[in-house]
Amino acid sequence: MGLLAPFFIAAGLIALAVPIVVHLIHRERSETVAFPSLMFLRKIPYRSVRRQKIRHWLLFVLRCLALLLLAAAFARPFLSSASQAAAAFSGGRELVVLLDRSYSMGYGDHWRRALAAARTAVDGVKTGDRATVILFAGDARAANRTTGERAALRAAVDTAQPGSGVTRYAPALKLARQFLEESPLPRREALIISDFQRAGWAAEEVSRLPSGTEVTTVSVADPAPANVSVAGVSFQRDIQAGRERVVVSARLTNHGAVALKRLPVKLELGGRDLQTVTSDIAANGAAGVTFTAFNLPDGVSRGTVRAGPDNLLADNAFHFVLSPERTLSVLLLEPVGGSADLSLYVRRALAVGDRPPFRVESRRVNQLTQADLAGRSVVVSLDAGVPAGDAGRALTEFVTGGGGLLVAMGERSGPAAFGPEAAALLPGRSGGIIERATTSGGRLTGIDVSHPVFEPFSAPRSGDFSSARFFRYRRVTLDTVNAKGAMLARFDDGAPALLERRVGRGTVLLWTSTLDNFWSDLPLQPVYLPFIHQLAKRGGGYTEAKAWFSVGQVADLTDPRTAASGNAGASERENLVAQTPSGGRVVVPPGTSRAIALNEQGFYEVRRPGEGAGTARVVAANLDLSETDFTPLDPQEFAAAVRPQARGLAGRGGEPEPVTAAEREQRQALWWYLLVGAFALLTAETILSNRLSKVTAPAS
Amino acid sequence: MTAPTGIPGARFLDPATLARIDNLELLARTVVDGFINGLHHSPYLGLSVDFAEHRAYMPGDDIRRIDWRLFARSDRFYVKEFEADTNANVSILMDISPSMSFRGEGRAVSKLDYARYLAACLAWFSRQQRDRVGIVTFDADVVDRVPPSAKHLNIVLHTIDRITSGKQGTLRTPLSRVAESFRRPSILALISDLYEDPAEVVSAVNLLRAKGNDLIVFQIMDPSELTFPFDRPANFEDLESGERIPLVPDQLREQYHELMSAHLKQLKQRFTDNQIDYALFDTSQPLDYALFHFLSNRERMSRVR
Repeated sequence: MGLLAPFFIAAGLIALAVPIVVHLIHRERSETVAFPSLMFLRKIPYRSVRRQKIRHWLLFVLRCLALLLLAAAFARPFLSSASQAAAAFSGGRELVVLLDRSYSMGYGDHWRRALAAARTAVDGVKTGDRATVILFAGDARAANRTTGERAALRAAVDTAQPGSGVTRYAPALKLARQFLEESPLPRREALIISDFQRAGWAAEEVSRLPSGTEVTTVSVADPAPANVSVAGVSFQRDIQAGRERVVVSARLTNHGAVALKRLPVKLELGGRDLQTVTSDIAANGAAGVTFTAFNLPDGVSRGTVRAGPDNLLADNAFHFVLSPERTLSVLLLEPVGGSADLSLYVRRALAVGDRPPFRVESRRVNQLTQADLAGRSVVVSLDAGVPAGDAGRALTEFVTGGGGLLVAMGERSGPAAFGPEAAALLPGRSGGIIERATTSGGRLTGIDVSHPVFEPFSAPRSGDFSSARFFRYRRVTLDTVNAKGAMLARFDDGAPALLERRVGRGTVLLWTSTLDNFWSDLPLQPVYLPFIHQLAKRGGGYTEAKAWFSVGQVADLTDPRTAASGNAGASERENLVAQTPSGGRVVVPPGTSRAIALNEQGFYEVRRPGEGAGTARVVAANLDLSETDFTPLDPQEFAAAVRPQARGLAGRGGEPEPVTAAEREQRQALWWYLLVGAFALLTAETILSNRLSKVTAPAS
Repeated sequence: MTAPTGIPGARFLDPATLARIDNLELLARTVVDGFINGLHHSPYLGLSVDFAEHRAYMPGDDIRRIDWRLFARSDRFYVKEFEADTNANVSILMDISPSMSFRGEGRAVSKLDYARYLAACLAWFSRQQRDRVGIVTFDADVVDRVPPSAKHLNIVLHTIDRITSGKQGTLRTPLSRVAESFRRPSILALISDLYEDPAEVVSAVNLLRAKGNDLIVFQIMDPSELTFPFDRPANFEDLESGERIPLVPDQLREQYHELMSAHLKQLKQRFTDNQIDYALFDTSQPLDYALFHFLSNRERMSRVR
């Protein structure tokens, strides 16, 4: 609210103050009476009594009020916003209650207090008002249609429950803005009930609420929260005596000012308590616990690490899924008449390591049959080309069906080594040999480190391909007509070194040099072993199964090797049914993206209709631990940040909003009411003073 | 020229009349004339015609004082003792603080003038009694002092004549000095308006009583102080401190009366408890009337004692 003529209010106040001050403190010009001693007069508690005493308080108040109202009327008060004006002159309020349902609201009595505040707000909805309850965590949704019925609003509040999401204010404010902007009511009000975690605040995402919106905050934050959470789990897997043994380690955090002693931490596997250890955690510190090794059962195992209890139970459990590593079956194709040493380096390299374990077999290329490809993950052709005829067709079918093919060229890999089926598989056509032995040899440059094959080598000091020397390699002409191939690496003269092509559901990789030490010294370099593993895993479509996801993430169900840990392949022509941790069912129809949003903490079971529980894929979803940081945001700051800017700058882009003449008149209409009030008071004063005069006259 | 007295046949001098007599001696003589000598007794035993008591002879006593008639009757030596009604020291202690200079509206004399007349009368009267007369004036301290002497009447009257109002005063300090200076018990007449807490006043005058002095307290008040007749709002100025307070007398009169009455009552009660003669003199009263009544009462009371 402002004043068009503030001088009048100041002048009015001064005019009001003058008679009062004169009345109270003015002393008449009287003679001075000498008196022997004032010792008795000084003891009398009041002086100048008649002057200081106001006899008719009601009259005094009436006159003062009348003068004040007159001064205020002449000062021409106006309301700074349309909503204020509307609020002053008419009813109708659009209330949006934003109720935080992130899982941190489950801390202590936060949720109970939040519900109480929400109920108070919706109970205050009067006739002509409308309200909407918006529940928000990571996303936001309206719990009810905008209504003025208190029962419906009450029901929306009463049925709300804290979820598993993290706090994000931006979606909720965006939704609230939408409701408020669409409202025809003149008054707009937003009530935000939350624990106001700073982690949920992203200033660049948050938009201000519409002009004229009154923003109120209710904070249920605990001034000194104490919370223990299981921040993460890691596994050390080892194969001993043919059985996979796993050591589980968990990291615990203590967001509290009190150190915890001998906190029990439990490991559950398959629904059974497996081990319990204790841990000491310093105040506002972290600690790690390691459980003893155990044999991993066959199939999918659901595991949980639990710590606590404390005020917030949700983050005391951390779920994961473990399943035995999938063995990649590799078939080495050797050229007819080729040396046994040709596959020596590859065979030895694949024999090392168990993540995943490789099962390697070899065949002469002319002995390849369709039966050899059954159950294979990847076929590696070592200077053996791609066979023609049935073997070639079988190989093409294998790749199209999801198998992998890695072709390494060499002395025998001229154009004649590739049958007609090769054109449908390879990303390029074989050419002549490039001789680099006369110089110091070619170097591998232009590596696409963003590709999964080279991703492990992308970090500094994690693999140096530049020390490898390549003395010979095949010239390969990229199949640019169909743009089917991608070059993942090239030599320093620009010739392709590694090409990739997707064929059907399979992958074909073409390495233009040999994988032994005849044409290069790559097998003698440290990067050789991980490079071979990466080529085999890429060809075999191997992706390390994710032991857990975070709530809010999306699990891809189309590719079992990336989305779930089970082995069962889902038919793309059938519905998939996912059972949520709370028991709900989500149907994922075919033809769409086979993905499911993980909104709850716990285990999701994904299966085809009619499939048994044993074959279901299991996805573990854990809470986002950013929510365990209770560092609060000042609610006043929050309100100031989302409150609409002052009129004149509230429009988008800071442009002043247009003000209509009617609106301008409405904003300035207060003076009229003030004037009427002043005249009413003066009338009352006249009547009262007349009565008082009649009463006092006879008495005097 | 005279004021009604309530005593049949008596005519007393109005203070306004006294104010027109410049000569204090004449004034005193006029006032005291007609009083009977010997209204008060000397506190000392000495040679006198008034027998006091017999006492057993002690070696060293003058044998001329032995009552031989009693020896003849009792065969024992007794000495006769007499009350000495002469040779008494009379000192007037006069408060000359500014509050004493107050003169109510329509009054002919101020409290200080009235006190001066009273002091002169007492001096004259005492001299008539053949007492030694002295005076001490004081405010916050002793201002003037004339030791008691049979020859000092003129000096005393002269001192009284040139009294002017002093500075802000108190009782304790000057009275304690006076008490220290008197070596011989005397008759002390304290003239003041006693504007102090009654307990403090009695405490101060008891310093004089402790030395065996016979103390008479004259409180001089203007009728305005007793009735508080003011009716218009005014700034009231304390004559002692100069402090000014704006007052509406109408609203205060009743409480003032209560406080003043309580003050006077307390003073009277405390003086009585301490066997100190006390008289309140209103400056509207004829001085000889007041003096006569007081001295008459005192004489009557001394006989009772």
